[in-house]
Amino acid sequence: MNLMEKLRAVGGTSGKPAAPAEASTDCRHFAVYRPIEDFPGAFGLTAETLRLMSDREIPEKLDPRKILYLDTETTGLGGSGTVAFLVGMGYLTDNGFEVHQFLLRDYPEEPFQLKHVAAGLGKFDVLCTFNGTTFDVPLLESRFRMNRMNPDCLDMPHLDLLHICRRLWKLRLGRCNLGRLEEVILGQPRTDDIPGSEVPERYFTYLKTKQIELLEDVLSHNAQDIISLCVLLNHMADLYLHPEKIRFSEDVYSMGRALERINRTENARHCYRLARRGRMGDSAGTALAMSYRRAGEKEQAAEIWREMIRERRGGVLPYVELAKYEEHVRRDVKAALELTEKAMLLLSEPVLREGGTVQETKNELQYRRQRLMRKLKER
Amino acid sequence: MNVQQLADQLRRDNLFMKNVTRWEVLPARPARTAPFPAGMDGRLKAALESRGIHELYIHQAASLEATARGEDVTVVTPTASGKTMCYNLPVLSAILQDEDTRALYLFPTKALSADQVSELYEMIEEMGVNIKTYTYDGDTPAAARRAVRQAGHIVVTNPDMLHSGILPHHTKWVKLFENLKYIVIDEIHTYRGVFGSNLANVLRRLLRLCEFYGSHPQFILCSATIANPKELAETLIGRPVTLVDENGAPMGERHFVFYNPPVVNRQLGIREGAIHVTRNIAGTLLKNGIQTITFARSRLTVEVLTRYLKDLVRDPLGNAGKVRGYRGGYLPGERRAIERGLRAGQVDAVVSTNALELGIDIGSLDACVMCGYPGTIASAWQQAGRAGRRKGVSMVFFIASSAAIDQYIVNHPDYLLQQSPENALLNPDNLYILLSHFKCAAFELPFREGDGFGNAPGCGEMLEYLSDQGILHEAEGTYHWSAEDFPASELSLRSAATENFIIVDITDPAHHRVVGEMDRFTAPMLLHENAIYMHEGTQYQVEKLDFDACKAFIRSVDVGYYTDADLNISLSLLDIEKEEPFAGTAVAALGEIKVTALVTMFKKIRFDTHETLGFGHVRLPETDMHTTAMWWTLPDALADRMAGDRLKNGMMGVANLLRIVCPLYLMCSAQDIAVVYQVRSPITDKPTIILYDNCPGGIGLSQKAFGMKELLLSRALQVAEDCPCEYGCPSCAGPVGEIGEDGKRTAIRLLKELLK
Repeated sequence: MNLMEKLRAVGGTSGKPAAPAEASTDCRHFAVYRPIEDFPGAFGLTAETLRLMSDREIPEKLDPRKILYLDTETTGLGGSGTVAFLVGMGYLTDNGFEVHQFLLRDYPEEPFQLKHVAAGLGKFDVLCTFNGTTFDVPLLESRFRMNRMNPDCLDMPHLDLLHICRRLWKLRLGRCNLGRLEEVILGQPRTDDIPGSEVPERYFTYLKTKQIELLEDVLSHNAQDIISLCVLLNHMADLYLHPEKIRFSEDVYSMGRALERINRTENARHCYRLARRGRMGDSAGTALAMSYRRAGEKEQAAEIWREMIRERRGGVLPYVELAKYEEHVRRDVKAALELTEKAMLLLSEPVLREGGTVQETKNELQYRRQRLMRKLKER
Repeated sequence: MNVQQLADQLRRDNLFMKNVTRWEVLPARPARTAPFPAGMDGRLKAALESRGIHELYIHQAASLEATARGEDVTVVTPTASGKTMCYNLPVLSAILQDEDTRALYLFPTKALSADQVSELYEMIEEMGVNIKTYTYDGDTPAAARRAVRQAGHIVVTNPDMLHSGILPHHTKWVKLFENLKYIVIDEIHTYRGVFGSNLANVLRRLLRLCEFYGSHPQFILCSATIANPKELAETLIGRPVTLVDENGAPMGERHFVFYNPPVVNRQLGIREGAIHVTRNIAGTLLKNGIQTITFARSRLTVEVLTRYLKDLVRDPLGNAGKVRGYRGGYLPGERRAIERGLRAGQVDAVVSTNALELGIDIGSLDACVMCGYPGTIASAWQQAGRAGRRKGVSMVFFIASSAAIDQYIVNHPDYLLQQSPENALLNPDNLYILLSHFKCAAFELPFREGDGFGNAPGCGEMLEYLSDQGILHEAEGTYHWSAEDFPASELSLRSAATENFIIVDITDPAHHRVVGEMDRFTAPMLLHENAIYMHEGTQYQVEKLDFDACKAFIRSVDVGYYTDADLNISLSLLDIEKEEPFAGTAVAALGEIKVTALVTMFKKIRFDTHETLGFGHVRLPETDMHTTAMWWTLPDALADRMAGDRLKNGMMGVANLLRIVCPLYLMCSAQDIAVVYQVRSPITDKPTIILYDNCPGGIGLSQKAFGMKELLLSRALQVAEDCPCEYGCPSCAGPVGEIGEDGKRTAIRLLKELLK
């Protein structure tokens, strides 16, 4: 057997020979334009609004036309053998929104594509992606290195919408991929979209046949992703500026958590207050009170606990917290004891049981009660 | 009694000495030292001196010199001879000189990595310098990985992680690859067979990436004593190496005692159990306060012996804690505690599987008891090396079990004492292995027309083949990876076949768990439906074998039998590489064959009595394997002179003898090769005995056997002639029931004819 025959025996056979490629001088460029009417409020976006969404570094003065929306289509899920065969970059102009896509008609065009990417990135102040921190940016960095090019151009302020969206909508939606957000949040479901998992195979077939029609779906999918990034960002900016517009208690509560995470305490409290009327009322009330307690504003926190007790919200927690306040801040042992006993009573009501931690809570309450009784006697 | 006194007493004990087949005294050896090299960094020198080290052993000095000359070095050293200094010193001094310098350490197991890192830490702390040493393996938390990639001066990992976690993501390791100066590979003797062939290809990939990043790392390799350390090292790294094998570490006198348990039933040829004898000898050592390590072959034996020894010293003071077991499956923390206990002398006796054979630092002990032959000479010396102080006397006991190999060793102690240890063989150019790694390499960095892959043959053909398959895409003379899969994830370094069967325990319907893996060539034998599969002493029955999905579903059972499948093997010739006449009209040949295996039925066999309880049918597809083989074709005249059954029985005897002898001389486990006989072989059309590599593509065992084609037969003859049995027994040509009354005689005659 010669080596070729052995290889066939060892590895099996399938597929057809590849077609020869032509020498390359540049990659293929596509452009997509959308009218400005599709992007309501886009020019109103400010750095201050972005800072509500993310604690990442954002330039002092932000021109919405200086945000670059980027998305890649790739041959796999990572590793140095994965190539971004299509890089799409979109941005706002005075007249509308432009998307420029750089496609590899074959692998040798990659250095040219990366040059376009580097040049593109250089003209903007902020990069905006969906899952770019873990996927697109490291992948492009890898591509630059593989082509012995400098990846420093990727090192710029970066707004990854996936993380922001997750913080906002995970509680209500669970999974937060772009398609689902378009449908549920923007109310624009996609039709005839190519599933992401089919993209690599489509490209490999294109490489063998060089029929550009095969990639039409992929190109429009990529352009749509980029346009959605811009729409989504503006939509979120609007919500952050006007939380009262949010219809779902879960979302406004989540926004509060997100704001609190980046120390925007006042904004967070505003969201919690808004959320106190809805399904997330208990959590929102608790979060609000806790926020006050952490800030040392104990009287405000106590007021919330009292309100929650009046409204019979939040189970035993408000009693416990208020008991602590009475005992340690106001030094009113009697009031603390009363609250503790009420909490114990509440805990014996089957409706309010909260699963496995009940016994633990009971024990804690018992302990607290004993201590308070002792304190009372000592007086 | 101390060791010397105990040795003297045993020698006067006739009852004991009656069963000793050899008492070998290995003389003491003084230390041979050399001063620190002239240019050594002052901080390093101070750190060594504060640890009481004022000069180097000659092997340390020699390896440092060779490394300083820019050569790749292989250091061969026995246990506890300070080999880690051979690599730690050059690496540390290089980093002290230039803090951009990077080094990569490869250890075969995670336990060894942990041991090495702690030793390095001590040195670095002693010097008070900022040298970062990180372990990067499956246990490294995701959050810490970034720091390892960016800042680790010394990255400690294992071949598997290098293969699947580092190389395919090399663009994240730019700092490491650009500045890589030393690649340290310890315990290279463990990289033989499939694992070694895989590592050699991983290193081809690594060096290819280093070239891309412009670094030219040097290798520092360490090996235990084997026959061919230089050849092994050079095959592994594909470059010439300087061998340093003159050991300068001192060693006290050692007594090596070969003990064959007495025959207790002459009719059946049954000997006293090795476990029982081991318990007595280890017990004597323990009672005399002699720190002892006992090696057993199975985890079960380790547990049994540990319990016996604990019972011997159990008292209200908690002295049973002075006896510890040690094996795979213990938690890392527990293992570390036992290792510390041994070093500190708080543990008097440890019973271990070969898990402690590798270079884990437990200090040196006074005595070693081997309960059974560990399988190779190299392994035996490694185990024996655990006993042996730098000063003073130590003892090693080899207790033979009734297994054929053990009986051979105990009756031919020279095999162990005189014979150089085995060759460690590997075959980086095994096409299955090479092609898999070539794919990984193509994923990592596109090949250009005319590029090589280390010294691998046939790169052009592989590129063409992979392009034909649509896995690579050629454009302007460069071959780009053009498939969605991630090739490194499909390849396990520790077995050759790409698809392993997964064994799933479905006893608890709510909680299916994967209990093991098996290669696809063995699976039909042991995992066919209704087979009894044994795992960790538990019996399971195979409920379903999903051949296409490569999954076997098993359920825990408790039955009084085991199963044995009938495997029909048919061989067909693919290619003859070499053919040489042999003993007149006999012929020996080397070539490639196709092995087709088909399991058709199985027997249920009762434990203890071994009677057949019933049969069952197996319906499974055939499995094909291409591999290398060598074969001996018997002379025509001989075949003609013998009647059908007599020839068959004789050949069966020869095959049985070769199965005993070949693993010894090829340094492989019994499962790595297969020996079959065919009275009328389809390969040669004549009576033929065939030996083949029992793994796809072969790892070079058949080639090696071809080179030893006379030696193997003469050793087989020796085993048959030296065995005191008359008509054959399991320790030589096989039991009479299998080979018939004339089987052994005929086997001897056939071998003599072949060796004429």
